[in-house]
Amino acid sequence: MDTKDLINKYRSGQLSSDEEKMLDRCIETGEVSLEELDDLAALKNNFDAMPVPEPSQNMSDAFYANLEATKQKEQRPKAEGNWFSQLWVTQPFLRWAYSVALIIVGLGAGYWLKSGGEDSDKLENLSAEVSEMKEVMMLTLLDKESPSDRLKAVNLTSELPDASAKVTEALLQTLNQDENVNVRLATLEALYPYASHPQVREGLIKSIALQESPLVQMALAEMMVALQEKRSVQNLEKVLKKENTPPEVRERIEKSIEVLI
Amino acid sequence: MDSISDNALMLKVKDGDLDKLGLLFERYRKILFGFFYNMNHDPGLSEDLVQNVFMRILKYRGGFKGDGEFKVWMFHIARNVGHDHYRKNKDRETDEIDNWKDKLGDDQMNREGEIEKGEDLHLLRRVLGRLDKEKMEVLTLSKLEGMKYKNIGDILDCSEGAVKVKVFRALQALKREYMHLKERV
Repeated sequence: MDTKDLINKYRSGQLSSDEEKMLDRCIETGEVSLEELDDLAALKNNFDAMPVPEPSQNMSDAFYANLEATKQKEQRPKAEGNWFSQLWVTQPFLRWAYSVALIIVGLGAGYWLKSGGEDSDKLENLSAEVSEMKEVMMLTLLDKESPSDRLKAVNLTSELPDASAKVTEALLQTLNQDENVNVRLATLEALYPYASHPQVREGLIKSIALQESPLVQMALAEMMVALQEKRSVQNLEKVLKKENTPPEVRERIEKSIEVLI
Repeated sequence: MDSISDNALMLKVKDGDLDKLGLLFERYRKILFGFFYNMNHDPGLSEDLVQNVFMRILKYRGGFKGDGEFKVWMFHIARNVGHDHYRKNKDRETDEIDNWKDKLGDDQMNREGEIEKGEDLHLLRRVLGRLDKEKMEVLTLSKLEGMKYKNIGDILDCSEGAVKVKVFRALQALKREYMHLKERV
């Protein structure tokens, strides 16, 4: 059916439902325009011609009042920001105060982290384990044949926060029995920090009579003076009595005895 | 109405130059008012709804991308404002329609009647109150100045052809009601 027939049928009100659908399609595709359907076109014209009143001045007034209120609301936070940044620039002490405050906060946080919590316990356990390992390593190295290994072992003791009785005993044994003079001298030095322990002190005094090396004997004599250990005099005199004691050593020991007495 | 310049203005509003919204308001206040007035025939309510549309434009200005026409974006907001209003006032809606019908028979009708001078238009006003909102909306949009079928399609999310069919059906429904009322008069 051609569109003219369709329109004519529409005008006479004789469209079947299929033809109505066809007209819908024609309108959708633009083959038939609404203007061609006279009755509807007239109705549309009437509808379009219906007057609409003018909006009142109140509407405009209310709009501009709302717009102004929104503008002010949005500018306020900006102004506050500017005030702060101006203060920041004009008052340098504020920057200093800010820096100091940050440092204090940092220190506080550090102290808080260090002093409490599970983490610090874990850290303590970990460092205890490391000390234990170092101790075992040191004792193992002391038994090695190489003097350099034994020196390493002796030096390791300086890294231990607090030497156990086992360590000091091993060191005293090294001081008395190690065949290398350098190792014995290093051991003596390593024992010095623990000289306040009665057992170590006792061991050092006993060691004087056992030493053959003049260097170690002199070092021991000096240490006794430093420690103000009067009980060592007896042992020092034993060294003096020895026939093979070199004169330099003898002289040194005599001076030490004089100081101690 | 220059759409490019509408978009340019709205993009400035988006960037914080809120005063430019005043220019858009001046351009569209009558058209928007007409849209709402045709739907509810209440001038006070229509003014309030226009106000709400512009406040929403201000609030959601960040969502304007400038890739479509400002007018289409604005009418999306206007439809939402209208729907929100009718949803909130659903209970009172029937009363409003009744009031509106009363009003048509009273002062406003008589006053406008003097200007319109036509019985057909007189009847048409009474018929409009019986039309459902969707049909009323598409007829109103097609009536607005400068509104093309393509624009309406963008607003209603359908093709230009589908808009023509919607207008056709709305007019048919209007005609049926019109004839029905005419027979009774």
